[in-house]
Amino acid sequence: MGLAAGKALTGWRAHLSLGFSDDGHRTILSHRKHLGPLVIQKPFYPEGEPCHIYLLHPPGGVVGGDQLRLDVDVNVKAHALLTTPAASKFYRSNETTAFLEQLFKVAPNATLEWLPQETILFADSHVSMQTRIQLEDNASFIGWELICLGRPASGEKYVLGNCRQRFSIWRNASPLLIETTRLHGSAAVLNQKWGLQGANVMGTCIAVNADKTTLKAVRDADIKIADGKFTSTLINDVLICRVLAMQAEPARNAFIQAWRIIRPLLLKRQASMPRIWST
Amino acid sequence: MMENRHIRLWQLINPTLPIGAFAYSQAQEYAVEIGWVRDETTALDWIQGLLEQVISTTEVPILVRCYAAARERDWPAFATWNKTILAMRESSELYLEDIQLGAAMLRVFPSMGIQPNHALTEGNLSYIASFAYACANWEIDLRMAAEGFLWMWSETQAAAAIKLVPLGQSAGQRILSVLSECIATSAEHGLLCTDDDIGMLAPGFAMSSAQHEIQYSRLFRS
Repeated sequence: MGLAAGKALTGWRAHLSLGFSDDGHRTILSHRKHLGPLVIQKPFYPEGEPCHIYLLHPPGGVVGGDQLRLDVDVNVKAHALLTTPAASKFYRSNETTAFLEQLFKVAPNATLEWLPQETILFADSHVSMQTRIQLEDNASFIGWELICLGRPASGEKYVLGNCRQRFSIWRNASPLLIETTRLHGSAAVLNQKWGLQGANVMGTCIAVNADKTTLKAVRDADIKIADGKFTSTLINDVLICRVLAMQAEPARNAFIQAWRIIRPLLLKRQASMPRIWST
Repeated sequence: MMENRHIRLWQLINPTLPIGAFAYSQAQEYAVEIGWVRDETTALDWIQGLLEQVISTTEVPILVRCYAAARERDWPAFATWNKTILAMRESSELYLEDIQLGAAMLRVFPSMGIQPNHALTEGNLSYIASFAYACANWEIDLRMAAEGFLWMWSETQAAAAIKLVPLGQSAGQRILSVLSECIATSAEHGLLCTDDDIGMLAPGFAMSSAQHEIQYSRLFRS
């Protein structure tokens, strides 16, 4: 690949690769290699065996020409929870695309929770994002991705931007869910009722190995969002929750609420709120 | 014989084909319930948007790939694209509709003189993959097949709007007249789609369909 670290004319090339393994007592970070400004904080253990990790995106945000790549391997029986202490930001760029590619591999009987804060797409940002969750037999996954268009708090509308996101979950060689989001500043999808309905925030939360009991528990909780909408559905064993909202916080809170219901049912663990979320 | 192939397409896209496609509103019923679709204009916005942005970039490119795979008898490729579109279904009811229509197509194939290959009967079959198989079997022109499929989809949606909103028959014809002007470009768009560009998440559509699953009183199936 020949990735060279550093801020050249072409932008950042950052690559972070992480491996988690079960050492018989708890999940350890058994592998870490990084190049460029995509880094993590020290792992910690607020609830026993699972390893919690905070992932830090480049502090100055991401601009056109940047190429970020994250590879995470969760090995047999390990349990990793990854989150981010702040929103990831993609800044305005002059028609140069920024790339983010994330590949998560989860081995048999291993568990991954991918619970990042929202990705903010600034007006006139050009972004290509790909997240692939590759599960082997009996691997578990709960996770979400949230996209925030513009900066609603400061009144910045998402105009002229361009974004393509693909989010996919695979069980061995078969796709369980493939979502492709394509947005640009003037697209009908932003305002039409079949699209985002003028919302600034959209997101999908997924849990695998779910069943009708999981779906019923989430539906019974009747999760509501002011100025937005939350829905849930179950395709085979994949639970899919979606949000539309005007602000990131209520969308994130809706997913946290769903996660608190889903986690004890699917992972047999009470939800242990990453402390960073309450700051 | 060659010049008559398109006539078989008419049979495939006719509402009398006994597969039950008209029993589904594809999320439109909830959209009407909540007021997102409430008159001729909003019905047209809903249907036209989905046609141009979603169906043209989802069903059409999969039709293209399954058709080519069936023509070349490349059954692993056929199975891959069939699985791909099933993974793109946004809700339980859209998924179930798709595999129920696929299964119904398999049931009518013998009466139409089509022998299904084993690739169609292993696992769930999506509607568009079954449609692609029939078109490939009869060597129907691919562009015509794509346009025919989009026409049938539009007609089903317009019929649902007439029942649900409700709209008069003339309003239904006005909607179909606008949609028919979009079909050629939507088909073209889908025919040119690269692998990376297949699929388009429409959140309002996906969420409407999920809500339809728990809607209290309904005319259309889940």
